[in-house]
Amino acid sequence: MAGKRTINIPLNRVEGDLDISVEIEGGVVTDAWCSGTMYRGFEKILIGRGALDGLVITPRICGICSTAHLMCASLALDMIGEVTPPPDAVRVRNIALMTEKIQSDMRHGFLMFTADFVNPAYKECDLYEEAVERFEPFKGVAVIEVIKETKKILEIVAILGGQWPHSSFMVPGGVASIPNQNDLVKCRLLLKQYRNWYEQRILGCTIERWLEVKSVNDLDQWLETCDSHRESHLGFYIRYARLIGLDRIGMGHDTFISFGALEFPVGTSLPMNGNQPRLVSAGIKHNGTIDLFENEKVSEHVTYSWFDEVDGGSHPMDGKTEPYATGYEGHKYSWSKAPRYDDKPAETGPLAEQIVGNNPLFNDLLETYGASVFTRQLARLIRPATLMPSMKLWLTEIFPDCVFYIPPGEIINGEGFGLTQVARGALGHWVRIEDSKIAHYQIISPTTWNLSPRDANGIRGPAEEALRGTEIKDIDNPVELGHIIRSFDACLVCTVHAFSKDRKSRIRI
Amino acid sequence: MKRIICIGNRYLPEDAAGYEVYRFLSKRGLPNGVDLIDGGLAGLDLLQYLEGMERVVIIDSISGFGANGDIRMFSAVEVAKAADPCFDHAAGLPYLLSVLPEVCDGTVPEIWVLGIEGIPDMEAVRSAAAQALDAVRGETAKEVYGK
Repeated sequence: MAGKRTINIPLNRVEGDLDISVEIEGGVVTDAWCSGTMYRGFEKILIGRGALDGLVITPRICGICSTAHLMCASLALDMIGEVTPPPDAVRVRNIALMTEKIQSDMRHGFLMFTADFVNPAYKECDLYEEAVERFEPFKGVAVIEVIKETKKILEIVAILGGQWPHSSFMVPGGVASIPNQNDLVKCRLLLKQYRNWYEQRILGCTIERWLEVKSVNDLDQWLETCDSHRESHLGFYIRYARLIGLDRIGMGHDTFISFGALEFPVGTSLPMNGNQPRLVSAGIKHNGTIDLFENEKVSEHVTYSWFDEVDGGSHPMDGKTEPYATGYEGHKYSWSKAPRYDDKPAETGPLAEQIVGNNPLFNDLLETYGASVFTRQLARLIRPATLMPSMKLWLTEIFPDCVFYIPPGEIINGEGFGLTQVARGALGHWVRIEDSKIAHYQIISPTTWNLSPRDANGIRGPAEEALRGTEIKDIDNPVELGHIIRSFDACLVCTVHAFSKDRKSRIRI
Repeated sequence: MKRIICIGNRYLPEDAAGYEVYRFLSKRGLPNGVDLIDGGLAGLDLLQYLEGMERVVIIDSISGFGANGDIRMFSAVEVAKAADPCFDHAAGLPYLLSVLPEVCDGTVPEIWVLGIEGIPDMEAVRSAAAQALDAVRGETAKEVYGK
């Protein structure tokens, strides 16, 4: 592999509309470009519509994260309507969002990410046969289990919100549906069943036992002290991921962002998380320190994106979405903008949540392995363990005869934003209402942070940076690149899902 | 129990044929023992709506099989063959039908997929609705298998 070579990789197992280009020299990736290949224009569609229309339209942005978009749309309107939702409405909103996350984490983990574990590149590995047994598409034990076990859990959102996906039950001031006692009992049962499966098959231990793991040393001891830990799907992930070297690839800029999520409802018996008003902390970790998150420091650059040029970055309350693609722009290469915090790229997702939350295990993992593919994916696989106990508690704290809605002030003019942490990371909606109509709507999704193109300063996005330096063993089967991109759980859109004759013609890794 | 499930994205005309048939059928009433669902973009999450059914007809947009408005009936096996071996966020019906025998609680229902090419006009929507009703009553199976 002497000399420089550029290869283009359509990653159809990411979403079908992300192309990765890498430049390879001497078998090592020397540069990378992540290109979103589809313009959707939701932010334009929303302009001129009724003030509340974001509650209906934005959940349609994604078939997987629809509750997440609804949460952000509602939070922005809460701010504009100057209303604080009552505690039980906060609980209902939180539980719905958490449900979406714990389902998505398992589906991504064992239907998408570990599919690469059975790549022929690993045929000679000691554990390959066991990997096939667990993760082979359509057949693997873990694959079948995950499909069966995850089909029910989203019923919690349907019970609380009337439907999933694309529900619109969160409204400024609270929620529009009031769960009765039977609803709550059913939600608790669904959660209990999911937790039992997660503990028995994914962790191989109770959540309480897993949460005792606070260092790399603890992790190694946990793995070795009990067969059920070692033989669980998580235990196998840890052993196999290290065996194939996922702890040595995929480090990005080492800057992490979390918008924070899951506000503590007033009066909850859940212990507070230090001074943080939310279960998932907000903040930025950069150069070894965790700083408070400041909304004013968020911006989006479009220098390398197919949008009307502006100098530097614009705050999403000022930014515009004006597509501009004549084919002659030269340097522009993505329909994704480049979000930046304090003009720097930042990685978001489950790992960022753990790092910003100062979790000792992940601090130690970061020190030991860096923000590698192994560490990033481990954070996703164990996230349900950090959420389910709080879900259970909040479900028991809801009383049907309480207040679930407080009428907001009139939403005629005003600005607001809704920020939260969703399955793939930091999600934000920035909204301006004028004369009861949407005058401005900007959305920054987690994948825009992670898969961003270069910014006005020419700085690569987190995934682009994570690809650099990767050694490619077989240029015809660059499985290493697939591991890295998929560890960010990239999601560019839900698009046309028609059954197409040509679908099988795409190249993939 | 029998079911018609219309899938697709109502906001994208090229993917909205299923939804158009849903709108047509929902205004006209259904035979006894048949219900109708707007499956939207549910993909793998349609699993629970297949379980417990005797026969299901799924209506979706298709691309590359004929002229605009053409209607074509597929068996579940034909659609399953188009599945990408790996799951992604866009994994839809082919993936679900591929894993169905492994993941379905109870007996796997008889499933037909009625595809409509492109953006159908009202005549094509009406015709698709009629074919879907025939199929859900078992007429398609009789035609294909002579039973």
